[in-house]
Amino acid sequence: MLLALIKKEFLALIRDVHGLAALFLMPAIFIIIMSLALKDVYSPSTKALPYAVENRDSGQLADNFLAEWKKRHGSPQANSASWKDEVRDGKLSYALIIEKNFSRELAAEHPGSEKQLRLIAEPGLESSAFTANNAELIMIANELRARALLSAARMSQRLPQRSSQRSLRSGAPDESVPVSALAMIDTERLSAGSRPTAVQQNVPAWLVFGMFFVVASLANLFIQERQCGALTRLASLGVPTSVMIWSKALPYLAINGLQAALMLAVGVWLMPLLGGDALSLAGIHWGALMLVLLAVSMAAIGLALALASLVRTHAQASALGPIVNILMAAIGGVMVPKFIMPEVMQRLAEFSPMNWGLEGMLAVLLRGSDMTGVLLPAAKLMGFATIMIIIAVVFFRRRAN
Amino acid sequence: MLEIRDLSYCYPDAEKPSLTGVSLNAGRGKILGLLGPNGAGKTTLISHLSGILQVQHGAILIDGSPLAVVRRKAPTRIAVAPQEYAFYPMLTVKENLECFAAAGRLGGERKRRRIVECLAFSRLERFVKIRAERLSGGLKRRLNLAIALLPEPELILLDEPTVGVDPQSRAFLLDAVKMIANSGAAVIYTSHYMDEIEAIADRVVILDDGKILRDGTLDELLRDGVAHMRLAVEGVPADEMNALLGRYGKVESVGEEWRVTLAHDRTPAELLAAVEKLGGRLKYVEFGRNNLEQLFMALTHRPLRD
Repeated sequence: MLLALIKKEFLALIRDVHGLAALFLMPAIFIIIMSLALKDVYSPSTKALPYAVENRDSGQLADNFLAEWKKRHGSPQANSASWKDEVRDGKLSYALIIEKNFSRELAAEHPGSEKQLRLIAEPGLESSAFTANNAELIMIANELRARALLSAARMSQRLPQRSSQRSLRSGAPDESVPVSALAMIDTERLSAGSRPTAVQQNVPAWLVFGMFFVVASLANLFIQERQCGALTRLASLGVPTSVMIWSKALPYLAINGLQAALMLAVGVWLMPLLGGDALSLAGIHWGALMLVLLAVSMAAIGLALALASLVRTHAQASALGPIVNILMAAIGGVMVPKFIMPEVMQRLAEFSPMNWGLEGMLAVLLRGSDMTGVLLPAAKLMGFATIMIIIAVVFFRRRAN
Repeated sequence: MLEIRDLSYCYPDAEKPSLTGVSLNAGRGKILGLLGPNGAGKTTLISHLSGILQVQHGAILIDGSPLAVVRRKAPTRIAVAPQEYAFYPMLTVKENLECFAAAGRLGGERKRRRIVECLAFSRLERFVKIRAERLSGGLKRRLNLAIALLPEPELILLDEPTVGVDPQSRAFLLDAVKMIANSGAAVIYTSHYMDEIEAIADRVVILDDGKILRDGTLDELLRDGVAHMRLAVEGVPADEMNALLGRYGKVESVGEEWRVTLAHDRTPAELLAAVEKLGGRLKYVEFGRNNLEQLFMALTHRPLRD
């Protein structure tokens, strides 16, 4: 019985050309367009990113550096002792580590080769934000070093020495003295995982978005069945509600699986051919990826079933499905990256199932998380799916009566 | 086979009940014609039998057992061919039959045999590979019927099965319904076409406003028309005719036709003799038998129902 109903569902799907186009083409086109469009022009605000500071230097220049950084980026998170875990999990965007000889080396004419200032970013920090922070770090350090060298030069004016006199005559430090602090600065991402390119960011986002698009397709078929009396007929033949629900859920789970495979393939193989960056799946935890995909799929199917049970007409389903999807995407950080949203919106994003899915996908694809790393978003999605399915069953029975 | 006793049902938030004290019987091998204007309560009654609505008051028994118990044990003993095309338009005729056969727990050889038999019964063999959405209205009706017959139900409800079909398909469907009854199933047939009910029903129930107005064989129901006369007369002014006919019963004038419901102590012969004595020439006269439509309209009156 179940197999026959599943077969019916597949046949209905295959013959719904528009629905299929929306399921497969739409997210693929979104990935391509958005990834290419945002490749170079992504210019996020880095001001609101949460960060930690570990200052091992008691010198004045370290304090000056931190004061300048705070002026530009606000205060660091109070609890910075466990910054490593928090950065790895993406709770902090980055940590600044000032080594104990920072002040001395920054002011030295010939600093040593050891790195004195480190920025360690979370694995999923957007490339543009990472680059912008890196540039700012160098700029502030250079400025402090220039002032320090100038100050030293003024000192040497009072205690003349050959080299200092030369520097003063030319109006600049000694040519053999490096002005840039670049050699002292190191910026890196915490994990050895994939480099977060536009593709690496966009594929998870639009994949989650595309998977939720089964909502419109499933809801419309459901309403068609209800309106023509086929569902009533199935019920009068004694088909249990649970079988009806599963006969819908299982084919769409397969559809979501196909969508995921297609979207990942677009990222891995098609994007490089189009001149974009390739999606890297190297070293990811496949079990965690499967868990997140399954949870996203269940949430999408649950939402579709609930929506289909709540609305009465095709028109309602056609309008409401995409609206709910787009709203969840807009709120959930799919259309607009969460980190550039105002704080209130960032809080709101945490209530969007798409955001849970996106966080789970980013954890796997960018932070190299394993099962435990995606357990929370997966649990949220499964919980959401359960609630939606309960709503669907209750309203399905109520509508039937 | 089917016995409905004092069935009443009121939808939540409805001002008045949809069914009030409905009692009727349907026997094996017989066709029960169910007549009623829109909103009479037919759909509510069918919804009970198809298991969509639970009994609030009264009882529905199948061979003496409560319907709910029978439906739990063997839901396919009762089948409904709804008014809508209750199948999947994007599936072919055969795919639809396979889907609903499986839903009705048919499997293996029996499933294959029933699909072949139902295709043959509804003469759909030539259309097995055609998608249902591309079938004509008549073929869709036949598919609707074929699906209902798949599990070999003992009681089948056909809700307006001939709506929107051509006369040939209609004749075919009516013959098919008779064959279903002849094969031993109990059939409940609802229609707004009175001639269909007259042609095939062994017993007729007229339902209106949730209540049964008449329940009997066609002969029993139409026998009520024995007191009605319809006549057209030339050569007598209308006011004189009205005065004359008024002495014999209740008079109604429709165009040139006079309709008289004879008083108990009057006979048609007396009335006709009086008309001739007045110098009237009879153009036509009908007496002795109502048709179902007249009875239906007389019972349910003329106001539109929706």
